[in-house]
Amino acid sequence: MDEALNRIHETVKQASLLARGQSVTRRRKRNPLKPSAKWTAPARVGRERGTALAVVLSTIGCAHARSDSGGCTMCSYLLDGTQEMPASEQLVEQFETAMVDLEGKEAPFSVKIYTSGSFLDPAEVPEEARAAILQMIASDDQVKEVVLESRPEYVEDAVLAEVRRILGGRIVEIGMGLESANDLIRTVCINKSFDFEDFKRSLETAKRHNIGLRAYVLLKPPLMTERDAMLDAIETIRVAQALGVTTVSLNPVNVQNDTLVEKLWNRRKYRPPWLWSVLEVLREASKESDGWMRVVCDPVAAGKIRGAHNCGKCDNEIVQAIRGFSLNQEASVLQKPTCSCVHQWQHILRHEDTSQLIHR
Amino acid sequence: MAEFRVGRGHDGPARIGELILGETTFETPLLTSHQTKNQHIINTGTLGRDEVSEGPMIVSLPFISDINDLELDLLRQDDVYLLPYLSSFGSLSSEAPATILDYQAQISRSLSSKILPSQMILRVPPEIPLDSLSESIKQFQELGVSGAAFVFNGQLGPEDMRAFELRSRLPLSMMVVALGRITPGMIPLLHYYGFDIVDISHGEEAATQGVRLWKKGPEKIEADRSHRYCPCSSCATLSDTDNLFDVLDGHNQETYRVALSESIHAMESGTLRWLVEGSTHNNTAMASLLRSLDKTLYTFIEEFTPTIGTGTLPLIGPESYNSPAVRRFREHVALRYTPQQGKQIVLLLPCSARKPYSDSKSHRRIAEVTSVVFGSIQPHVAEAILTSPLGLVPRELERVYPAAQYDIPVTGDWDTEEIAIGAQALSAYLKKFDKSAVVVAHVSGGYLDIVRAAEDEIEQSIVYTTHESRATSSESLENLQETLVELKEVLAIQNEPRTALRELVSATADYQFGSGTGSLLVPEDAKLKGKPYRMVLCHVEGEQVCSYIAETGTLSLTLEGGKRIASVGRYWVRLDVDNVKGGSIFAVGIQEADPSIRPGDEVIVVNKKNEVIGVGRSEMSGREMCELNRGRAVSLRHKVG
Repeated sequence: MDEALNRIHETVKQASLLARGQSVTRRRKRNPLKPSAKWTAPARVGRERGTALAVVLSTIGCAHARSDSGGCTMCSYLLDGTQEMPASEQLVEQFETAMVDLEGKEAPFSVKIYTSGSFLDPAEVPEEARAAILQMIASDDQVKEVVLESRPEYVEDAVLAEVRRILGGRIVEIGMGLESANDLIRTVCINKSFDFEDFKRSLETAKRHNIGLRAYVLLKPPLMTERDAMLDAIETIRVAQALGVTTVSLNPVNVQNDTLVEKLWNRRKYRPPWLWSVLEVLREASKESDGWMRVVCDPVAAGKIRGAHNCGKCDNEIVQAIRGFSLNQEASVLQKPTCSCVHQWQHILRHEDTSQLIHR
Repeated sequence: MAEFRVGRGHDGPARIGELILGETTFETPLLTSHQTKNQHIINTGTLGRDEVSEGPMIVSLPFISDINDLELDLLRQDDVYLLPYLSSFGSLSSEAPATILDYQAQISRSLSSKILPSQMILRVPPEIPLDSLSESIKQFQELGVSGAAFVFNGQLGPEDMRAFELRSRLPLSMMVVALGRITPGMIPLLHYYGFDIVDISHGEEAATQGVRLWKKGPEKIEADRSHRYCPCSSCATLSDTDNLFDVLDGHNQETYRVALSESIHAMESGTLRWLVEGSTHNNTAMASLLRSLDKTLYTFIEEFTPTIGTGTLPLIGPESYNSPAVRRFREHVALRYTPQQGKQIVLLLPCSARKPYSDSKSHRRIAEVTSVVFGSIQPHVAEAILTSPLGLVPRELERVYPAAQYDIPVTGDWDTEEIAIGAQALSAYLKKFDKSAVVVAHVSGGYLDIVRAAEDEIEQSIVYTTHESRATSSESLENLQETLVELKEVLAIQNEPRTALRELVSATADYQFGSGTGSLLVPEDAKLKGKPYRMVLCHVEGEQVCSYIAETGTLSLTLEGGKRIASVGRYWVRLDVDNVKGGSIFAVGIQEADPSIRPGDEVIVVNKKNEVIGVGRSEMSGREMCELNRGRAVSLRHKVG
């Protein structure tokens, strides 16, 4: 990137740090024996109907978010973590607590381990904790699918070889925040601090171990118009599909505390995406996916002012369509919703581009 | 090709011009929107994302890291392009606005291998400090970027105010674009402030929400409710609810076009300011905006406000008190006007509806009284007319613009601000007279309130002659006569030769060219002849130096007159040639000009040796003469050779 773009990126970085403020060092103290969150839900596991367990381990959080590079502009997930690094045994116990929830639920199971950071980062989840947690999963034959999360820098052959060895023949996916296939947008608007090449390398590494890649695609980072954002998400999904990711998870931005997005939103300089945009991206994605790549979307705070929303009248119907599509990959449900606010959205798509006025 | 040309004519910074794009010439001010088939509206769209119209468009470029990220084969030679931008980026830090401008400059440099810089419009970040914009804009000017775009959120609050302030910092030759949420009611104000292209997409936005726009505000159209009658062709099918969006969109575009037509017409007839003042009654936000703008950007709008005008100038409400022509008049009277020496009586009079005041019945009756006492010769009596919002008009200046043109609603009551304005003007005026002079206040009602309010500041003794009844009542007039007779005796005023013409020309010279010029143009030995209500010629040593034209209340200089006042160093226009040819001087030929020149001013043309080579009337402001590369700058009256 050239000089002006570097200055633009530096500005975003500093602004992101500023928005984060003291929030990172003033995180509340949590019980190191309990995960930040856990929930189970009926889900499609492989080709069968089963139950998914999601657990958010309470760790010290994402290394990028903790660093002085400002973290990502829309993310404050690390505030779910804890100030002090939990010991390995404590992390394992957190996981154990969550696994109990699967007892008596409809098998097969899918287990998703989130950490508000990278599960594969040894500085966040020590190697012995990681091994113990994976062992615990390996000891339950009903678990058929495992999703881990990591930034690309921790995806290495040795680590994935270990994951594959412990989990045996289970379906394994690594969730990774690609966010955008466009380096400019990922860098300037998101401050993600890795390149598309890094993502590609991780994908190739994962493939060598028969591990799938679940690409998180962000819809509407800050500083972009509604249409910029929508087109970029569509293009990102197209690129991800061509590379061979196994799942695309579309994440419409929601306004999280102590982020640059929140700061802009407070000043009326940001609006979370329209649900119409979410629908449009999913429609385009399902055209691309040819049935092999899964496309899922579970918009956080959908229909609320801090999440993806429309006029208020049609939000519920659309969110249901989105959830329905995520569960069964049936694109026809995405065609159904109608509302008069679609004209307003269409106007905004064009007008934000030309005027650069944020429509809120 | 792409070229923006500023055309002739002024009413404040408002201007007309042309945007020439290939074979097509758009007249500015011009409206813009997307996907319109209307010939008078230029289309907008985003490169590679929107439908391309057959005719020229304003195309926005998406944010990119390198111009090769663009679909370069879509670029056309007859379109203009809005440079890439990053929404809201300017708010991220204090350096961010300058950074995003540098980015645009960088893009425009590499883009100039594909399209002309004159096809490019930069986007001004709303957060940029004013001085920083003045600095940053230079790189675009050097490059030849032809326009700048500002964004309005339509709330008429501090952000929109900011866009006007930033606009005032642009080079004068740049095309100025207003983007964002703009209601029809804002059109006159934007035009007045010199915006050349205005985004009317809000009409479409309103239509998507079932809203019909009118000049004064929106109207929600609901299926089962009755709505306002509209004669426009689009609204003929308003009952067609399946097609409501198109109907409303059509109507809304029509409303904008009508607003623009009205605004252009007002500018041509010199009443744009009046139209703008009227629009403040659309809503309170509009009123606050104009008042703040008048305060903050006075110097900007004043610079382009003509000093001459024809036709009536209606000054209706508080928005007029500080309109540029009015405030400038007050300031000139306070700073430039110099009364003739030896005035022993200062007679204060009320204004009249008829202008000039001398032509009114009331002033004629007062003149009868003064001539009974002094004959028609009053070299020791000064007359001044109290009025609002001009404050005070010395009799000699009653034909100057806008004293002879203004028209106000007359009730006899003045509000507090008007009284303060009048009192300030009065006390400044009386400071120009000897302390021993006597002030005869032949005024009542609100006028009297003005004198009372100024009393503490007045050092002369004051005689009130109306006993609070009307100034033109027989009782008041008798009283005035008695007072004057008495004063004549007490002050031992002798009848002396008439000096009215001398005073008229000298005071006008001071008002027009600055204090001291009166004595240069009308020295002791000057010979004056003519009628104050028609024309007065002034000769010095057998040569005519100027003539007073009653119709405009101003002086026209001869070359000799120009030479006499050239030494004052004002109102000069410097050319790079020895002599002038033809009847006009164009901006392109002007090397330097006095920045205090306003459109309509009498100016002196000098060559590089500072010799006077012509005199004439300016058609633009001094700064425009320097910055613009085309257009008539001076209409010559006399020239050497």
